[in-house]
Amino acid sequence: MKRFEQLIAPHLDAAYNLARWLTGNDSAARDVVQESALRAFRFLQRFADGNAKAWFLTIVRNESYTWLKASAGRHWLAIGDDIGDDDTALSHNQTPELQAIHTENAALIEQALQALPPVFREVIVLKELEDMPYKDIALVVDIPIGTVMSRLARARVMLKLELLKLHDHE
Amino acid sequence: MNDTDCTVCQTRLHGYLDQQLDPASAAQVAAHLSECTGCARRHDELKKLKLSVRQHAPYYAAPASLATSVFAQRSGTPRLLQRWRQWLAPAFCATTLALAMVLYVATPGSEQPLMDEAVSSHVRSLMGEHLNDVASSDRHTVKPWFTGKLDFSPPVLDYAAQGFPLLGGRLDYLQHQATAALSYGRAKHIINVFILPTAQADTPRHSETIRGFNVVSWQANHMRFVLVSDVEKSELEAFSQLLRDGA
Repeated sequence: MKRFEQLIAPHLDAAYNLARWLTGNDSAARDVVQESALRAFRFLQRFADGNAKAWFLTIVRNESYTWLKASAGRHWLAIGDDIGDDDTALSHNQTPELQAIHTENAALIEQALQALPPVFREVIVLKELEDMPYKDIALVVDIPIGTVMSRLARARVMLKLELLKLHDHE
Repeated sequence: MNDTDCTVCQTRLHGYLDQQLDPASAAQVAAHLSECTGCARRHDELKKLKLSVRQHAPYYAAPASLATSVFAQRSGTPRLLQRWRQWLAPAFCATTLALAMVLYVATPGSEQPLMDEAVSSHVRSLMGEHLNDVASSDRHTVKPWFTGKLDFSPPVLDYAAQGFPLLGGRLDYLQHQATAALSYGRAKHIINVFILPTAQADTPRHSETIRGFNVVSWQANHMRFVLVSDVEKSELEAFSQLLRDGA
């Protein structure tokens, strides 16, 4: 029990933040973290010393997706697969509107980020909000480390487009 | 730098911004950025985007109550505690009940009130003129007097020769039953001997002091003997020995 608390307690915020960003609501995030903690406790013996944060967030991510599947259907799940991780989508040169991108409007950023499919949203959350290195993101999201960078590149382009879209609507 | 470099750079730029490139790759990107205005502009743009997200995207910290419930309910120790409580509560109840029963059975529950009552009766008998219903030193007068008044036959003997003359007898009422009370003298002192029937087995002599009075009691032949007096304990015990031997 002591070990469990020592391992998990420091990462409870990260867990809740990820679950909250993926599920998009407070009570779901709560349930997801509770369930994840239960799983983590159950599989505590299997966790050798290592990256407790990545380990716990992997569980939280899986639980979040389980919740999403149950509540929202599967329509978005294909996105991560279709997209490949080719860079062709990046080659178009959108005229940058720096004003739109460099916003301090938290609600706007949240809205834009929430508009991204979860597989792109999560890499931005893990990178920018948790400041995790690519190798840890690769563990949590379960993709090759080389794919993390292209996934992030794609996610940021999408986020920029969302911000521009929202900016235009204002 | 050619277009191929720019295409590569578009992805690598992110690793560069995130400081996740190995030094050699980072140097390549840096060199390219210094030459390519398009990529440099993209770099600035991404840097601003990154900054916007980092600084202004909401971070959802776990509510304090979540930590409490995660570590209090979901974890093993409290469950163990709950299980303990589950077993402990009935166990505690059972133990308490058992203890209560043991105390109830083991304590001479009727004993102490009897001794108390006997002492009170002894005091009362000396207060007024009601020491004896039948005042006689003749045991053949005293003993028959009880007949018909009691459902048992108390031994009545005179021990005048040993210095404990029989003074008389009276009816008393202890422990909700008719009791024979014999009074004996010892110098200027009075000894009350209470005799009442009991279903219990014989018990050895027991001496105690209640409110300054010496009390000696025992059970024999399905009778309870309680001697109360202000004579000295050793004298009362000697007298009780006479009664036991005589009875």
